[in-house]
Amino acid sequence: MKFREIVESPCGIRYLFDELGLQSGYARKVLLDWEMMTDADRIDAAYATLRGFYDLVLTDRRRVEDMRFRLQGLRDISGTLTSLAEGAVLDEIEFFEIKHMAMLAESLAMGKELDTVIGILDPDGLKIGTFYLYDSYSVELRNLRAAVEMDPDDSVLQEQLANEEDRLKKVISDKLRPFARGLLQTLQDMAELDISLAMAVQMHAEGLAIPTSGTETTIVGMFHPGVRAILKAKGRSFQPVDFSFRRGEPATVIGANMGGKTVALKTLCMLQYLYQFGFALPVESAVMTPFDAIRFCIGDEQSEKTGLSSFAAEMQRIDQAVAVVEQGGRVLLLVDEPARTTNPVEGTALVAALLELLADRPNLALVMTTHYTVEHGGQCWRVQGLLPGTKGRTMDYRLVKTTSHEVPHEALNIARELGIDPRWIELADTIMKRHYE
Amino acid sequence: MPFVGEILKHRSVSIVGLAKNAGKTECLNYIIKRLPLDYFNVAVTSIGIDGETTDQVTGTAKPEITVREGMFFATSEKHFRQKRPLSELYAVSDEDTALGRVVTAKALQEGKVLLSGPSSASALKRWMRSLTDFGIDLILIDGALSRLSTASPAVSEAMVLSTGAAYSANIRELVNKTAFVVELIRLPLYLGPDPGIRVSSFSAVEVGDLKGNLVIEVEGALTDRLLQKVRQGMGEEEVELVVGDFTKVFCSQELYRAFVRRGGRVSVRMKSELLAVCVNPVAPNGIVLDSDILCRELSQRIGLPVYDIVKNEYEI
Repeated sequence: MKFREIVESPCGIRYLFDELGLQSGYARKVLLDWEMMTDADRIDAAYATLRGFYDLVLTDRRRVEDMRFRLQGLRDISGTLTSLAEGAVLDEIEFFEIKHMAMLAESLAMGKELDTVIGILDPDGLKIGTFYLYDSYSVELRNLRAAVEMDPDDSVLQEQLANEEDRLKKVISDKLRPFARGLLQTLQDMAELDISLAMAVQMHAEGLAIPTSGTETTIVGMFHPGVRAILKAKGRSFQPVDFSFRRGEPATVIGANMGGKTVALKTLCMLQYLYQFGFALPVESAVMTPFDAIRFCIGDEQSEKTGLSSFAAEMQRIDQAVAVVEQGGRVLLLVDEPARTTNPVEGTALVAALLELLADRPNLALVMTTHYTVEHGGQCWRVQGLLPGTKGRTMDYRLVKTTSHEVPHEALNIARELGIDPRWIELADTIMKRHYE
Repeated sequence: MPFVGEILKHRSVSIVGLAKNAGKTECLNYIIKRLPLDYFNVAVTSIGIDGETTDQVTGTAKPEITVREGMFFATSEKHFRQKRPLSELYAVSDEDTALGRVVTAKALQEGKVLLSGPSSASALKRWMRSLTDFGIDLILIDGALSRLSTASPAVSEAMVLSTGAAYSANIRELVNKTAFVVELIRLPLYLGPDPGIRVSSFSAVEVGDLKGNLVIEVEGALTDRLLQKVRQGMGEEEVELVVGDFTKVFCSQELYRAFVRRGGRVSVRMKSELLAVCVNPVAPNGIVLDSDILCRELSQRIGLPVYDIVKNEYEI
């Protein structure tokens, strides 16, 4: 799975991508082509690199900003370098690009044998980043140019000059060719540097943390950066949430409306992606474990576009995710309120059946939010909910483990807090009491 | 050497033709020939490429610009490869146009180039900003056909207008149409407090909404439709419309005049300085207007000197 496939995920990872502050379009392209890591050792190695850059951000911010400023000059010349490697003869524009790139790499202390490459493209040793076919490339070139300047309309001279220029382009291309593969690697390395620096700067700016790898997932103080930014704009803060889960033990999250269940699930999904692409996490601390596949099932507007009812779209999405589970491998399945758009009787049955169907699978980690009361053998988490004895809308978003799988009846209280017409709410209260008696 | 001195007082100047073959290219070449390059770093570019294809249709000469030694120019990769004097490459942009990326180079000898620079006003602004590294004192912009937007004061500080028989083959009509453009360019700056009401041609403006407002801010283009609405909503009082700059005015002369007759006024947030008007009395279809009469009539009408730079071959 490539990064570009998850960037629009409903978990909201887009926010961190948009805020990443990459200096070059090429780095953006390289990042979108990153492949998701599924091996903990590789992820840990990527984090070791990130930690190094993060330390640099803390200790030498000036150097970091200097490098980032230089990286604004990074251009994608992989096409030019590839055709050079394959034997093409380049022209002035392409020589300029290579010289520009080589000087950029040299200024960043990257790459090998750049002196030689720059020397080929800077025969007069001017050490400036411009280029043309310098007179000093051949005596013939200089003489012909002088002759054409004396007699600009002589077509024979003009042709001789053009031939000499073509010959020199071939000579220069041949000299550069042995370095083409190395330059391609350096180009890639510079894009990776751009990405690493941007990640380290973001880690500092957003207060992110590097997790450790383990066999199960334990998260302390997670937050959703996109939601936090929206709240901050409204003068409010995001309450960090703790959570843990492991493979082979399904977990359900129950709780009041507006209790942050969906945001918690989105955050879990985002954390998993960030971890497996080597980004720092929006947590206080975390132990993470990699999965071979991550599936996030959440209702969205997509169903309207395809003409399916939201129920149909949701059922298909979950069905496809279950098929992935059946294929084997370590799977993280995150499901947001399945069957919520249908009646509670059938909805409860569907949720209970799904949990039973997916029980006893040692390679599956399942986290599901629901409004239905369903007994199962896994963990059950509950949103702390409305704070007792407080006036106004005060919600405690923390998740706590509970033994009772009975969903809390807080909808009416929340509706009261929202200031909904009391005639409606009190009538509902009366009807509910009548029903239970 | 008319108006070149004026040009040197600005950091960016657009040369805008009111029609293809209105003499814009001659005008640009005229200016370039007379620039004191010994102590001025000059860069030249053009916006868009529609001019060239039109030329292939009418069969007149391609708009080639003669750059002098030491001048910077920006053009597309394609045109750079096609034709240029010996030039030193300074930059290759990250942005792609239909003709490839934009290349910035310095001419090491005099020669002809095909100009096709950044293709939008925003890309042009980015290119202009990127030039600061090269110590450029003056940027000349060849504004392509029907792209008045490059002359926007948001892009360039000043402008030179070229008009001619290609725009209209009747002297009276040519003077009339050109004078209208000049009038718009010279719309007064708005200096009053922020207007209470903002309208745009996309928003559903009701005539009733406008009643009682003496100053109305127009977001985006001032179109015939919008002006008509404002006119209907006007009472006895004078109404002032505030637009971004003259390139945002797209209404017809008739409607504009009717609006002004009823006591309406249009002012701008940003103003461009019009340095000169050049005329080309020759149309591509062979019609030739009397240059002296044209210059005199237009000059009287707009109160600015008007030059036929081809006929008069002003001294260098």
